[in-house]
Amino acid sequence: MPGPDKETDLTERIEAFLFDLNRGGSGAGPLRGSAETARETTALLRRITAQARWSSAGDLMEIIRNEGRRMTAAQPSETTVGNMIRRVLKIIREEYARSRGSSEEADQQESLHKLLTSGGVSDENFRQPFAALKPNVIEAINELLTELEGTTDNIAMQALEHIHSNEVIMTIGRSRTVEAFLKDAARKRKFHVIVAECAPFCQGHEMATSLSKAGIETTVITDAAIFAVMSRVNKVIIGTQTVLANGGLRAVNGTHTLALAAKHHSTPLIVCAPMFKLSPQFPNEEDTFHKFVSPHEVLPFTEGEILSKVNVHCPVFDYVPPELITLFISNIGGHAPSYIYRLMSELYHPEDHEL
Amino acid sequence: MAGKGGKQSRSSSGLSGRKGAGDQEEEEQPLQAVLVADSFNRRFFPVTKDQPRALLPLGNVAMIDYTLEFLTSTGVQETFVFCCWMASKIKEHLLKSKWCRPTSPNTVHIITSEMYRSLGDVLRDVDAKSLVRSDFVLVYGDVVSNVDISQALQEHRHRRKMDKNISVMTMICKESSPGHKSRCEEDDVIVAMDSRSQRILHYHKTQGLKRLQFPVNIFHSGSNEFEIRHDLLDCHISICSPQVAELFTDNFDYQTRNDFVRGILVNEEILGNQIHMHVTKDGYGVRVSNLLMYDSVSSDLVRRWVYPLTPEANFVDQKGRSCTYSRHNVYRGSGVSLGHGSQMEENVLIGCDTSIGANCYISNSVIGNNCTIGDNVNLDHAYIWNNVHIASNVVISQSVVCDKVEVKTGVTLNKQCVLAYNVVIGPDISLPEGTVVSMHHPDEEEDEDDDEFLSDDAEVGHSKDKTKLKAFNPAEVGAEGKGYIWKASSLDDTEDEELVRKNCESEDSEPDDPDDPVIPSPETDDVKVFQMEVLGTLQRGLEENIGFDNLVLEINSLKYAYNITMKEVIQILTSVVLEYPFQQQGPQLTPAQYVALLLPLLKKWAPVFKNYVKRVQDHLDCLSAFEEHFLEQDSHWPAMVKVLMNMYQLEILEEETILRWFSQGATTDKSRQLRKNQGVRTGHTAL
Repeated sequence: MPGPDKETDLTERIEAFLFDLNRGGSGAGPLRGSAETARETTALLRRITAQARWSSAGDLMEIIRNEGRRMTAAQPSETTVGNMIRRVLKIIREEYARSRGSSEEADQQESLHKLLTSGGVSDENFRQPFAALKPNVIEAINELLTELEGTTDNIAMQALEHIHSNEVIMTIGRSRTVEAFLKDAARKRKFHVIVAECAPFCQGHEMATSLSKAGIETTVITDAAIFAVMSRVNKVIIGTQTVLANGGLRAVNGTHTLALAAKHHSTPLIVCAPMFKLSPQFPNEEDTFHKFVSPHEVLPFTEGEILSKVNVHCPVFDYVPPELITLFISNIGGHAPSYIYRLMSELYHPEDHEL
Repeated sequence: MAGKGGKQSRSSSGLSGRKGAGDQEEEEQPLQAVLVADSFNRRFFPVTKDQPRALLPLGNVAMIDYTLEFLTSTGVQETFVFCCWMASKIKEHLLKSKWCRPTSPNTVHIITSEMYRSLGDVLRDVDAKSLVRSDFVLVYGDVVSNVDISQALQEHRHRRKMDKNISVMTMICKESSPGHKSRCEEDDVIVAMDSRSQRILHYHKTQGLKRLQFPVNIFHSGSNEFEIRHDLLDCHISICSPQVAELFTDNFDYQTRNDFVRGILVNEEILGNQIHMHVTKDGYGVRVSNLLMYDSVSSDLVRRWVYPLTPEANFVDQKGRSCTYSRHNVYRGSGVSLGHGSQMEENVLIGCDTSIGANCYISNSVIGNNCTIGDNVNLDHAYIWNNVHIASNVVISQSVVCDKVEVKTGVTLNKQCVLAYNVVIGPDISLPEGTVVSMHHPDEEEDEDDDEFLSDDAEVGHSKDKTKLKAFNPAEVGAEGKGYIWKASSLDDTEDEELVRKNCESEDSEPDDPDDPVIPSPETDDVKVFQMEVLGTLQRGLEENIGFDNLVLEINSLKYAYNITMKEVIQILTSVVLEYPFQQQGPQLTPAQYVALLLPLLKKWAPVFKNYVKRVQDHLDCLSAFEEHFLEQDSHWPAMVKVLMNMYQLEILEEETILRWFSQGATTDKSRQLRKNQGVRTGHTAL
């Protein structure tokens, strides 16, 4: 019987992925790129689509929603997972609509007129079975995977439009996207990069090493020196962990300081963020917003007596409000923070915002 | 029992199935672990009378779950859980948990027996059932850790590959300076180790010791870099080779890991086994070995030192047990209701469906699921487990309140109180510091002191009968109270120690090892018997013309049987040989006759000597026995030099050490006189 075998294989894969997510969350551990997580999630969802038992689009969406809920619960701070699940759900909706022959546009556009005329939230039940649905969905997911493969390159390609010769660029911590972006620009232009070290994890050090290896003139500064150095900086280019629905950021600790300093000196702040980091989450949902890891990095456990007398915290993320951000650079071009809501409605179906 | 049989057959089938593949590639073998879900002591008494220690909640999750999560995250694929005390409860818990789901990456086998009385018994059973195939991780069921042991594991495997199976165990220790709250005083050790190879040379518990002594010989072996460290916290995680289980079988007197470590170190030169240590700076690894440690580990957990094993992570994957995390380390489960004006100051964990009344003040506390707490309650460092009812105007500080306890209005629990399961306290009473209240009568405990390993059912039935017999004392537990006061024990160090001494005979009442190299042991009976046996052996060897190999073998086995150190073996052997002529012919021998009798004997037994007398220290030991012998027999001093010369010629003793002995050894008048003896001096000059 190949059926049950396939299914146990699938559940094993899902469990292993959940386990990885659970483990990979520690800030001090090996940093897994979110691009990698996005790819893995999508590949897993493709496998679920191919191997799970479902007869109609509704069934499949239910399965994916269930697994998605578990995946997001395993590591709430990794929003990429949730985002990819929403993208796949949207794909299923579109493919179903196409199979039924109705126009895609009519389905996804929210308009005042539609809100007034439609009876319930959704009159669609996705129960109609289509033979071609499965290959179509898998095909669409494959396209999504191809898109994910190219995101970093797509962003890096735009570097020359933003970085000019002899500019001083500031960045913070280590972001793979920013790293690729700067390196791409360095092929044609000469400029100076100042990296804030981003204590206590000091990923900035790795970033600086990597940049200087690529032949970029690099300076490392402490986080406390950000404001002092800002007056010399022409542009601030940062990465982020998540782009929130209001255009704000959830980025590595210290980014808010950097953004405020940039605002004070009227230095433009550019955020390199691939589309898969766009999350329909708002900053007020504070349950999963913060992430505090072991205070070991701040005050080592070896310290002894003092530890029982003090409270030590080690937060990982900062919230950066949208008004401090000048421009987003994603794999499909540059956007203002106020445009994020629009991208959001293009990427995700409103009913999927809550998994 | 049927379940147990099933488990075992499953494990054995897995064993045979994987063995074929395992032979080819050793690296490919799945990592195994032995988890001992029993502490074999009673430090948590009387709480553990109702619930085994491994299942006590720590941050609202059973301790064994932390251990299993740790093992799983380090890549262990097969875990053997050994249960003894209340094994059925542990089994029930595990079968319901995520570890026994078919998708679990870590296969858990539960092995129960009422016969286990110590760690030694468990490991002997591991050996008897041949459960482990390669290196395994040994932990207790109350270890909370997020240490990454992969590096230690790699080092261990590398060492075993390099020099064939010499290293039998790698202990994981964490650096933390003395005075650290998470250091358990009972476990304070001082370790001497070789800094290059990380080999442990000396290992000593320091609790209650004011002076420490190190045998000098540890500094003569190995490389010339040493570390003597006291800043180590023993994580109670060890990576063991399969030989460890065999060694426990061979040495049936080993009870604890401490016995084992000491035994290996003392017998290092004979058995050739070594123990290594891995010192880590990162991560967290502490064993919850008593209530003090329970307090500090709980607070470390709430302060997120064990990340990612935090309360809100819900790693046990139980439905509806998730909680949210907000600033100042406040965790709230789902369905928590908090009354008007109540404050959760900091480091607070509140379980699901717990309701808290108005104007409460809570700090540094853990509250379990389904509790109700009244108005104006003040909790500080309180550990409240599940289904507890606390009425209004209660003050609790640094105390443990177990499941289903009822605390009535106006009760004050001072520091370090323990309310065991189902107790009712109050109203309007203040319990003094360090009170322990339990539904079990302390006398009943004494009656049953010996049969604490009774099965649960018998135990429960038994205690119920007793409960009916004795009335509660309202002066102690309040007018509506239910429960008996136990001897005032506490979380406090000193008293806890007493408690330990009194209650846990299994671990602490072992006599100081007679083979302790630090204290030169007095002439115990064992030594005398050993001497007689050696004499008998040599005599028989002479009569039956037994080869020296067999003599050595026999003496070695005697050495183990009577637990004799190497030093003593050498000294006894020397004196036995030297006295042999007197033994045979009577004490009236003349020096000339004595020499004539002894010299052929020496020649015959020279290989035996050579087998033992190897290092400089051994030579000196031999010489000191030699000296002692002739000090007693002052009429035979003329013979001495001849014997000494003969021993030199037979290459039993080396010139250098004889000279050293001659120039340094004299401490008493008589021995000085002995050295001045004409013969020796000429012998000395002759050399």
